[in-house]
Formats: sequence, structure tokens, C-alpha cells
Amino acid sequence: MSKKVLVTGEGAICASGKDPAEIWDAARAGRSAIAPIQQWDSASWPSKLAGEIADFNPRTLVEDRKLHKLVRRTDLLGLYAAAKAIEGAGLVAYRDALDPTGTDLFNDRTAVYVGSGGNKYQDQYDFFPLLTDAAGDLGAFGRELTGTVNPMWLLRVLPNNVLCHIGIRYNFKGPNGCVTNHGVSGTLAIIETAAALRAGEADQAVAVGHDAPVEPENILHYHALGLLAADTIRPFDAGHSGSILGEGAGALILETESAAHARGAKVLGEFLGSGCVTEAEGLLSVRGDGDGLARAIAQALDDAGIGTAEVGMVVAHGNGTPISDASEASALRRIFGTTPPPVTSFKWAFGHLLAASGIIDTVLALNSLRHRLVPGIATLRDLAPACKHLAASAMPQPPRSDVALVLSRGFAGTDAALLLRASASAGDN
Amino acid sequence: MIGGRRRVAITGLGVVTPLGNTIATTWEALLAGRTGVAPITSFDASGFPVRIAAEVKKFDPRTAIEDRKLLKFANRYHTFALAAAEEAIRDAGIRPESHTAPRWGCAVGSGMMGVEFAKLVEVHQRFAENGSLSSERLGAAGVTAADPVAFCRSQANAGLSLLLRHFGIRGYATSVNTACASGGQALGTAMKLVRRGTADFVLAGGFDSMVNPVGLSAFCLLGALSPDNDTPQRASRPFDRTRNGFVLGEGAGFLVLEEWNAARRRGARIYAELAGDGNSLSSYRITDSHPSGDGPIQAIRQSLASAGARPDEVDYLNAHGTSTPMNDQSECVAVRAVFGRHADRIAVSSTKSLMGHLVSGAGAVEAAICALAIHHGIVPPNANLRELDPDCDLEFVRDQPLLRRVGVAMSNSFGFGGSNNCIVFQNPEDVRT
Repeated sequence: MSKKVLVTGEGAICASGKDPAEIWDAARAGRSAIAPIQQWDSASWPSKLAGEIADFNPRTLVEDRKLHKLVRRTDLLGLYAAAKAIEGAGLVAYRDALDPTGTDLFNDRTAVYVGSGGNKYQDQYDFFPLLTDAAGDLGAFGRELTGTVNPMWLLRVLPNNVLCHIGIRYNFKGPNGCVTNHGVSGTLAIIETAAALRAGEADQAVAVGHDAPVEPENILHYHALGLLAADTIRPFDAGHSGSILGEGAGALILETESAAHARGAKVLGEFLGSGCVTEAEGLLSVRGDGDGLARAIAQALDDAGIGTAEVGMVVAHGNGTPISDASEASALRRIFGTTPPPVTSFKWAFGHLLAASGIIDTVLALNSLRHRLVPGIATLRDLAPACKHLAASAMPQPPRSDVALVLSRGFAGTDAALLLRASASAGDN
Repeated sequence: MIGGRRRVAITGLGVVTPLGNTIATTWEALLAGRTGVAPITSFDASGFPVRIAAEVKKFDPRTAIEDRKLLKFANRYHTFALAAAEEAIRDAGIRPESHTAPRWGCAVGSGMMGVEFAKLVEVHQRFAENGSLSSERLGAAGVTAADPVAFCRSQANAGLSLLLRHFGIRGYATSVNTACASGGQALGTAMKLVRRGTADFVLAGGFDSMVNPVGLSAFCLLGALSPDNDTPQRASRPFDRTRNGFVLGEGAGFLVLEEWNAARRRGARIYAELAGDGNSLSSYRITDSHPSGDGPIQAIRQSLASAGARPDEVDYLNAHGTSTPMNDQSECVAVRAVFGRHADRIAVSSTKSLMGHLVSGAGAVEAAICALAIHHGIVPPNANLRELDPDCDLEFVRDQPLLRRVGVAMSNSFGFGGSNNCIVFQNPEDVRT
């Protein structure tokens, strides 16, 4: 019998705010943080909207100033969300009160799994001055390398930087991983974390997802592929025309039931089950029938050992591209038939956070269950014909139980589903 | 070993390495002690402080992969992955079919450098010739500046996507990156997918190439590479007292993993059981483990526990053995701490001595080597070990391969960022089900 996995901490940051409550409140109030891009002059750009963190300041995100030059923007976001979750859950305070043997054991039994956006176009730009100096001569490029490029360049752009620096900062040394699988990276980090806890490889764990995809070349490519909306994300709406990218991070603390009880942790919820599959049709392909998503949901229900009637709400992927929305609606219809639970999506509020989206959506799902309120999709006016049967609304709805289904999709036709139950007692806090 | 768990059979192997573009040629070169290290030929490295690497040679992906359209979306290391995976699948004699595809998973350790150098140069010439990107001009160029094929190739999960599509894999799929531990972690992840019942078959491996101007620069800047440009064949000398850095390699390794009983039922050739996986974080420095071996010690112990194996059952260790001063020493300290006196009876070799360091591909290629060592009863040598470092107090297989039945083999992979992975392999003759 595998162990019960509980959620005991959460952290999040995105354009809508710097903690889960602030982000959830903004969504409930129907406030979108999508705005014209500020990181560069985007006035003449064909796509100029994103969910950027308006007052981005490394100093307010990560205390250790030495780190600011050692990591990237996306890493600072991940480290911030992780720190909030770790500190909020009281992990460090508990660990530090243990005797030396207990402390070592706690560190060795604390896992860290990260979903990372991987390499960025901008990472390479540190080589532009050298390319200018070399003027097309690779020999000169090699000769002038030292002294022109930051000697720590590689360490700054490692895809696993958040994993590394959570380890160094908190001295956690347990099982770990770093998933770079586009839109499902964060969700897979949760899935691997839960698997490690269920199998008894660790007692407690940090799961983080982070991404900062709002950079010029990336926006241009997404635009050229027709993936971006011109005005706003309208998930499942007849006027949906694409997605909008955002930056941010989410983090969860997950523990075995016995570890959480041993340290008297406040329980926010329970991980019930998960599923992940792929459609195998190519990097950008999405099957119209929702095959992958339906199979991922079915797997998650099976893993959790619950039926569709027990699902109280769905946080859909809802990225606002017509093909993804329609196929997602098709998958939900196949699973839930004519009695669908309330469906929402949060990307309209702060954009698609890619590698971070699955974790921030999970954090917001638990917040919704705790408030017994499923925030509406504020940009939704009329459901698209293919999405008519969804119980989605611009207005808030009550969840029909304390269980949420969270869906994530990514490039490579990968679909993932999580099922979580909110803790009854957590709502009183 | 403990009973009750779902066991994982290794039934197919494939590699593209600096030593050869197949399992047979790579294994033959390893046993013969032929080096894959030479002056760099794929670009003009004459100005770089380091001008040697272990490059894949005479490789034509079209001999393994007929789908030309697929190859258009592949960068250099993706083509290594496709060719190695195709060899592994053919070797296993089983492919995903419509009714089995949802039970096939794919777990890969992918190289981190998505943007190809030629593309970087093109963007520099068009929009950054004075040294910084003009976002204004990029925006004005609009869609004419976008290259969808290059975009697809640059994605962190592009290699995974190509593999899924080529083989029609429809189950759990993940692409991981913990730098040099990526390949080992991908194998461990794959093993656990079978063990926990998420998949019955997994195509698992790793692939990388940082042998390009930016990749070579990155390691030159860190001073991590051996500067022995005049003696490339001797440059990678793990555990030698005079070692002075690693040699950058490139390539891919893939394994087909299957649930043990099903593999037996279909009469598959089983190279070895993938029996255990251990992971830890060093949480010390970005590039080093603690000199005490803290970090790697926990990974090795976990992998033994995961395999249900006793330390004294281990016969062969394929060391991480990069040939950098700190890594080799702390790895040896860790091995000694875990195995005590039994360490004297473990044959140890770092095959990086001949093929260089394949970064995200290393752990997967070295897993294939462990499976071959068990299958053939031959331990490949650790080349270039002339003056043993007294701080590297283990029993290395020097110069010649060692004929020895291998009951339990183990492979270490330690990455920048502090992730340590250790995976354990068991001789199929010793598996009691």
C-alpha cells in the first residue's frame, strides 16, 4: 500500500501577485494582469501583450545578492516561490530544532523536483559582444573568449539552477529531478515528487515550476506560429484566438502523512493521483478529439481510485488557442458526459506560464476549494460551439466537492492530469 | 535481492559515440582501448584554449532514419538520439504497436543547448551586430525573422518529441536535465515508471552535443577541460595523478526497458536487470561535491537499497570519473565510504577515458556499457592511468579489459548543479522471480 501524500505548503508569483492569496483574489475579482510588454519597447511589435511581473526586482525576490549574478530571471522566480512554500510550511524551523542526527536524516529525506523552462534565447546573447569583436572569424572568437564573456556563463544558464540553489540554500539532499518538458514540466515535477513520497524514497519534498518565456525572440516565434492572441486570452470563448505568455513560478510542499503528522504540519490538501500521456504526433500537433487529455484524466482517476462524480471542479489548461480549447472540451465531455463539474482556467488572468503553469494552477485549485468557490473566466462571453457543453462561466461557481482536477498540456503532444483534495480544516485558517 | 517488485529487463541497446556509431563498434573500440579524442574537426577551434574533443565521426543519420521530414526538425544531437534509439528498438525486437503504444513510456536526458550556433550568428548579423539585440528591429522584421523549423529544434523537449513521433510512443513522456546526471536520472525515472506500473515498456536514454563554439567556450571559461591539445589521446585520464580536466564528448545512448515477466514470456534477450536507482543533491557548490563524498554517498546507498543489493555483491563500477581533479577524488572517497574493504574487490573504470564526457548523454551510454559488461562478462578498461593518484584508492581496470563474470554493476553520474545519480544492474542469471 503506497503512502498518502499531503500538501503542506504553497508559494506562487506571477503578474497577478506575489503570493497565492493575492493571485487567487485577483482572479476571483476578474482582474487580468495581461498588459503591454515592458521588458523591451514593444510598441511596434506584432504581438505586444504578456503577463509580466511589473515591479520585477531581484532584491525583493532573493535575499542572497551573490545569487543575482549567478542565475537568470526565471530562476529568481522559482527560488522565490520555493522559499515562500518552504518557509510557510515551517520545514526549516522544524528541521533546525532536531538533534544533529535528526537534521542529517531530515536533509537526506527531503526531495526537490523542479519543472524548468530550460534554455532561453537570451542566455546566448552574452556571446553577441564576442561575435561582434570576432567579426566572423572563429579563430578570433576563440582567442578573445576569455575576458569578453562572463567566466561563470554556463553555471548561470544551467536549466537545473533552481534545483541546485534550493539545495545549497536549505541543505536538502534527497531524491531530485529537473523536468524540461514545456507546458507539463511543473506537473511532472509534482508527479515525480508524489511517486518518490509514495515509494518511501523521501519523507517531504519541494516541487517547483518556473518559467520566464517573455523574451523577444520567443514572443516572435510564438507569434509567427499563430499561437498568440492579439487582445486577450479567452479560454473556450467563441472569440478565442490564441494564448498569451506570462512569467512566474509556483511551489508546493508535499509530505507523507506520517511526516506531516510527526511535525504537526498544517495540511492544505492531499495529492490523490495523476496521469501523463502523449499523442506522439509532433511538437506542435494537437489531436482534435482530445485523445491524450482524456487518457491522462482516466489514468489520474484510476490512480486516485475515484469516480468522475467525485470531481468537484476542473482547472482546465484553457490556453485560448482554438484547437487546444476544442480538444480539451472534447476530452472533458468524453470523461464527464452530460454532468460536467464546474470548469475554470486561470491563464486569462496572468498568461500561460509554460513550465510553471501546472504548479501555479494546482496552488490556485487548492485555494478555490478552500474558499468553496470556483473563480469565473472573466474574459468568457459566449462559449465556442465546440465548448458548449462545458460548465464554464464568467461568474464564480461553487465546486461540487472538495476534489479538483488540474490539467496541463505542452509541446510534443503531452497531456497531464492531477487530482487533489483540499483539506477540510484548511478552510478555517 | 528482494521479491515482489515489478522487475525491469534491459532488452535493447543502441549508441552513437565518439568510438563508433553502433553498439558493436563502440564496444570493440572500448575493449581495444582505442581513443575517440582528437583535434576538433566540426568547426575551426584553432583560436580556443582547448582544441580537442571526442567527436562523433562519419555519422549519417539517414542510414538509420529514413524519414527525411523528421530529420529536418532534428539538430545534431537529436539525430544521434534517433539513430541510437532506432538501434535499441531493433535490438530489442519490439516496437510500439497501436494496442501497446499507450503502455510505452519515454524518458530522456536531453542536451541543454537548444539554439544552434549558426542560428545565433544569423540573429547577431541581422539584429545584434553591435553586440546587443535590437528588439526594435527584430519586431519590425516581424514574421520574416521567424524560422519555425529552428524554433522547433530549439525547444527543450524537441528531442523527446521526435522520438515519440518516430516510434509512436503514447504513454508517459518526460525530458529531464540535471546537466551531467541527466542520462542516469532518465534511466532511473524510466525504471520507476515500469516498477510503479505506469508503463510496461520504456525507451530511455540521453543525448547531447556541446562540441560547438558556445559549448566549448562554456567549459573553457570554467577551466574544466583538459588543455592537453598536443596529446589528445592522453588528455582524459581519470584517477591519474596528473589529470587536468575532462574532454568534451558528444553522442547518445538508448535502452529498451520492459517489465521482466513479459520480456521473458516473449523470449527476449535480457542483457541485465535495471535493478536500482539512487539520487541525491550535494548541496555544496554548483560544480563540486564535498571532499568527504557527501552527496554521492547517499545516491550510491539509495541505489543499493532500491536494488535490494548488498554492497558486497557489486563487481563492477562504471565511475563518473571525469578526469577533473576534484570530482575523481570525491567519487573515490564516496565509494570507499560506502563499500569499505569490499571496494578492493570492485573493478572500477571510467569509460570517459576513451570517449570523453557526453554530458547529458553520458549516464545513458554508460548504462549500456554496464549492460554489455554483464552480458559479455568483460569489464572495459580505464585508459591512460599511468600514475595512480594516491587519493584515488580503488581497484581500477588498467590498460586491458578484465574478463570477469559481473553479478552486479553500478554506474555513477554526477552533474553540475549538484545532482548525483547512481543506477544498479543485475546479471539476469541471478534474478529469482
